[in-house]
Amino acid sequence: MNTSYILRRLFYGLLLMLGVVVLNFLLIRLAPGDPAVVIAGEMGGATEEMLESIREEYGLNKPVLTQLGIYIANVAQFDLGESFFFNQPVTTLIGHRIGPTILLVITAQLLSIVLGVFLGVIAARKPNGPMSAFVSVFATIGYAVPVFWTGIMLIILFASVVPIFPVEGMQSVKLRDAGFFVKALDVLHHLILPAFTLAIIYLAQYARLSRASMLEVLGSDYIRTARAKGASEGSVLFKHALRNAALPILTVAGLQFGNLISGALLVETVFNWPGMGRLAFDSILRRDYPTIMGVLFFASFMVVVANILTDLSYRLADPRLRGR
Amino acid sequence: MSALLEIEDLRVTFRTRYGEVTALDSVSMHVNEGETLGVVGESGCGKSITALSVMGLIPSPPGKIAGGSIRLNGEELTTASPARLRAMRGPDAAMIFQEPMTSLNPVFTVGDQIAEAIMLHQKVDKAQALKDAVALLDRVGIPSPETRAKDYPHQLSGGMRQRVMIAMAVSCRPKVLIADEPTTALDVTVQAQIFDLLNEIQRDFGVAIILITHDMGAISEMADRVAVMYAGRVIEDASADDVLDYPQHPYARGLIDCIPALGRDDHRLAEIPGVVPPLHLLGQGCAFADRCAFKQDRCTREKPLLGSHGHHPVACHGIEEARL
Ligand SMILES: Nc1ncnc2c1ncn2[C@@H]1O[C@H](COP(=O)(O)OP(=O)(O)O)[C@@H](O)[C@H]1O
Ligand code: SF4
Ligand SMILES: [Mg+2]
Repeated sequence: MNTSYILRRLFYGLLLMLGVVVLNFLLIRLAPGDPAVVIAGEMGGATEEMLESIREEYGLNKPVLTQLGIYIANVAQFDLGESFFFNQPVTTLIGHRIGPTILLVITAQLLSIVLGVFLGVIAARKPNGPMSAFVSVFATIGYAVPVFWTGIMLIILFASVVPIFPVEGMQSVKLRDAGFFVKALDVLHHLILPAFTLAIIYLAQYARLSRASMLEVLGSDYIRTARAKGASEGSVLFKHALRNAALPILTVAGLQFGNLISGALLVETVFNWPGMGRLAFDSILRRDYPTIMGVLFFASFMVVVANILTDLSYRLADPRLRGR
Repeated sequence: MSALLEIEDLRVTFRTRYGEVTALDSVSMHVNEGETLGVVGESGCGKSITALSVMGLIPSPPGKIAGGSIRLNGEELTTASPARLRAMRGPDAAMIFQEPMTSLNPVFTVGDQIAEAIMLHQKVDKAQALKDAVALLDRVGIPSPETRAKDYPHQLSGGMRQRVMIAMAVSCRPKVLIADEPTTALDVTVQAQIFDLLNEIQRDFGVAIILITHDMGAISEMADRVAVMYAGRVIEDASADDVLDYPQHPYARGLIDCIPALGRDDHRLAEIPGVVPPLHLLGQGCAFADRCAFKQDRCTREKPLLGSHGHHPVACHGIEEARL
């Protein structure tokens, strides 16, 4: 893999982020009414001094292009403005919440990929077997059922029927003074339901995708070669076939990351998970525009980073693409 | 003295949408230690299926060995356990395929792929196996083998890949090496080099070779004996000289008569008018009847069996007429 490719990829990422920033900017300008009032938050009942300071900060008296320039310059310094609901800089607000979101999204992503691919591989071994039928049915159901429904069902199940997992929040209040290890376990315990809820749709998709991908790979000549040299069935499946079948799965995993983040918004709301999604949801209800834009900015940032990482790992995984 | 490899009355069937078809019908052939058996016949006549049966690699389902026996060194293979077959692939029987471009796994280096074959059957560590792999690459005529061992298949030409396949096939010193049309997919100039290499390998390793090919020049140079196949049966079986100089079966005569006496080297099987009937339409009579100039009444009623009618074993009712 050459440096010029990485640089080019980073440049595109930067361009994309610039697009997001411009979009954010337009969002405010296109909202009806005085932009200063919009920024202050329509529920805020802002005072005239407050509006004046906003006009000052965003340069709202200057020409539109200058305003855009100021806005971009601010964002470039990670200054996303102030939330007038919280009376805090947006970056601080998000800084507190981005960790739980990343934890949730990455756990869900890993859970869905590992379990989904495993199911798919097992199913591909016997394309007409019962496991294969299960994967097809499960994939259809998992795909059709909305995240919040799964979440609510799980909450009902675990809140009353078998109360073994906490159904709300990220930490137990009574463990506030516990040691790090106990706290970590506690977070993990809280993480299980929301992560599984978020994972289930994608898990089903990965299962179906890897089944199809594996079936195709298993018919190829190099699999016959692997068998001809006496490789075991396990090595044929998980080494020779999966390494190849993983390539399309990796692509999809990268593309799904954006969906996963928007899915996290719903799941965080259902499970009261203290992440960015919950913040976005609340801010939309409050019309807290700077916070909404901040969330949008960071969510886009995460997607762009994930896509770059996917692209690079795809090139690492497929030697035919290296050095291009 | 019994032969190294003995195939007797082998019957292989496939489940297809036309019902069960018989791809191999009472196929018998044998190979003695260190000799070369040539197998010729039009596409679809069952050469590859015969080879795959020996390796225990018939795709199943839809295929299965429905009868007969395959003995390697006196050991019955048609009833051997999957584990026993795996252990035997490599040290006893090895195979190289028609499609060098797709027969190597694209995501592993060629050195790793050869080393894997070695480690599957010998108690050596990875470093030693890689060293052996480099030595084998050198042995099959690949220049700068240390560097090439780190190459991925897509970095090598078709001829080089076939050399890699040969290196992998002989890495565990098999007693019999099946080469299934090893040059069909290669440039004419490279074909002769691969045949030369197989010749050398046979001389050095004392391996018996089953050479499936359309290249009658290669047959006349390499083969000790020849089996001619047609529509899932062996229709003529004799020493290479006999088959080439005195072909008996009308089909074999068609194949060989069309070859110019001089410069046989790069001539492929000549076209005989008509096509091989599809397996599900095979009747009770001779499968060649529709294309045969010597057809008799009997030919459409009764399947001719391989027997010594004259010069050497031939399956034809009209053998007397055919000689006229
Ligand atoms: N997977 C399969 N399913 C059904 N029929 C098959 C399959 N593989 C091979 N056959 C049949 O077996 C016959 C012999 O094929 P093959 O041994 O590959 O011929 P060739 O002599 O060209 O190597 C063909 O007529 C083909 O129709
Ligand atoms: S058996 Fe009859 S039809 Fe078949 S090859 Fe011999 S003469 Fe021709
Ligand atoms: Mg073939």
